[in-house]
Amino acid sequence: MRRRLVVAFVLVAAVSAGVLAVASYLLVQQARLQGSLSASSAQAREDLNLAATITYPLASDFVNAYEQRGTHAVLVFPGGLRVPSDTEVNPPIPAELVDVVHQGQLGYQRVHVAGQPYLILGGKVPQSAAQLYLFFSEQDIQHALDQLRNTLVGGWLSVLLVAALIGNALARRTLGPVARASEAARLIADGRLDTRLPAGDGDEFGAWAAAFNEMADALEAKIAALSAAQARELRFTANVAHELRTPLTALVAAASLLSEQARHLPDEARRPVELVTADVGRLRVLVDELMEISRLDAGSEPVQHSAADVHSIVTALIGARGWQDKVVVDDQPLTLITDPRRIERILANLLENAIEHSGHDVRVRIAALGTHASIAVADGGPGIPPEQLPLIFERFYKADSARASAGSGLGLAIALENARLLGGDISVSSDVRSGSVFRLTLPMEPSGDVSKR
Amino acid sequence: MDERLLLIEDDASIREIVSIGLKAAGFRVVTAVDGQQGLASARSGGFDAVILDVMLPSLDGFEVCREIRKFSRIPVVMLTARTDLIDVVVGLESGADDYVKKPFELPELTARLRAVLRRAASPAAGEDSLIAVGRLQIDPACFTVRRDGAELTLTATEFRLLVELAKRPGQVFTRELLLQRVWDYEYLGESHLVDVAIQRLRAKVEDDPSRPVLIKTVRGVGYRLDRTGA
Repeated sequence: MRRRLVVAFVLVAAVSAGVLAVASYLLVQQARLQGSLSASSAQAREDLNLAATITYPLASDFVNAYEQRGTHAVLVFPGGLRVPSDTEVNPPIPAELVDVVHQGQLGYQRVHVAGQPYLILGGKVPQSAAQLYLFFSEQDIQHALDQLRNTLVGGWLSVLLVAALIGNALARRTLGPVARASEAARLIADGRLDTRLPAGDGDEFGAWAAAFNEMADALEAKIAALSAAQARELRFTANVAHELRTPLTALVAAASLLSEQARHLPDEARRPVELVTADVGRLRVLVDELMEISRLDAGSEPVQHSAADVHSIVTALIGARGWQDKVVVDDQPLTLITDPRRIERILANLLENAIEHSGHDVRVRIAALGTHASIAVADGGPGIPPEQLPLIFERFYKADSARASAGSGLGLAIALENARLLGGDISVSSDVRSGSVFRLTLPMEPSGDVSKR
Repeated sequence: MDERLLLIEDDASIREIVSIGLKAAGFRVVTAVDGQQGLASARSGGFDAVILDVMLPSLDGFEVCREIRKFSRIPVVMLTARTDLIDVVVGLESGADDYVKKPFELPELTARLRAVLRRAASPAAGEDSLIAVGRLQIDPACFTVRRDGAELTLTATEFRLLVELAKRPGQVFTRELLLQRVWDYEYLGESHLVDVAIQRLRAKVEDDPSRPVLIKTVRGVGYRLDRTGA
């Protein structure tokens, strides 16, 4: 942008200064040549009259006298006899000029003789058949014009240089605020929301900077409000979960006592006790998961890395939960440096989810893909409609509202947060005929910043 | 079985239901509603174990536990409301023998209590003969440890851990094995119980606990007692 501005500025200066210079040169040149012609013509008329008094034998002396003044002269007599003032140079006379002179007029033509500019004036000598051609040197004029030309070219070049300098300075002055504004915009995009433009002068850029700063103020205030709201929400979730925990502790303890006594209770009391116990259990899971997800949100969950074999984690998990006849695992050992407790947590959620949907026929495939491990949990369940796929990792989202009693609705969200905590991710693909596949990808080794968390 | 328990818990509902449950399980229970009151009760003596909530008004559970340890090696089970590992570790470092995470089912709490009471009643079951390791003289029958003749004050858990290691000097004990033998735990995954207890034991029996010569760490496996140390 700056270069284009400078080039345009220089171009305008070059054309206008160039036109001016060329026009001046042409005007001066024409004036000088015209002046030289009229002076020479007057001289020639005088000389022709003078030549009329000369007779042939003295012709040589006559022309030689011109040579003294630096002017070549040639007398041409009828029959083609030429008497040049300088026999060595004996300059040729252009045929067109000769024709004009033959018609009895005073003619002129500009030629170069031996590289020097000359104005030839020719005419008939009165009362004679002879013709006199005078070669007036225009060396001085040419010299002066050359000097003028050099001066004009030099001046033109200086104008170009000055134009370039001024153009550059102007462009810098004009574009400086633009450059500062784009730098400021970049900083704001990088999260430096306190970036502001210096308040300019009262010009358009000053107004622009003020508008930019107003926008940045609004943006900063908005984002501060948003993050405060988000922090409030996170704290609220953590507080809710925490406050629920105390009454829940009493509930869990009471329910455990009640369920021990359930068999001694009359039928109409036993069923309510069973329901209370079951619901206390659900509430406990929900509060635990709320606590976990609020810790994950707060970034306060510790990660403890160690070498872990995914296959052993999965088989141990299946054994502990009694899922042996529901889940098949590829016999594929794969050792990662990761947090085994979290992998177990993620896979427990994915397997629980899969078993819940298909009941059995759950398959776990373990594979190494370069720097990442892929652990796929496939079920033969009814699948997830495509429009629900993007939503299933949302908190409290339940694909099937009829099945709302199973799970807290946080399981997949917690699995995903845990996967991200380990530097991995979970993706899902589903087909209403063949079921769903949840694929956990994890780095084989933690990258620098993940291990720091 | 009518051990006397001191339950220090500020929440009335939890205090009441836990009392009911523990009484139903055959314990005698005295309750306290905050740290100061609990500490005063503990000082008056006559208890076999203390159940101590972490989040208490006036004096928190860690402080109460540290104070109790100044005059008694009575078993202490902490009730940790937060699941943060740091709470568990701080609780154990302040001298607790075990912890139960809230919320808990009563059978879980009674099982843990019985385990700590068993440990306290017979700190080193089946061991009567004096054990001498380096500068340490361990008398399992009298529940005493002397170092160069001076008696050391160890909790029941620390004592049992030391006896377990000292019975077979040189042998490497995994954390799981120690959990089973010392804490009577059948399940895995609570290895910080072992790690914190080892730290506390080292603080009492080593010259420089940060550079132990008696109780050595076997990296990635567990611990062993070095008979040439001390």
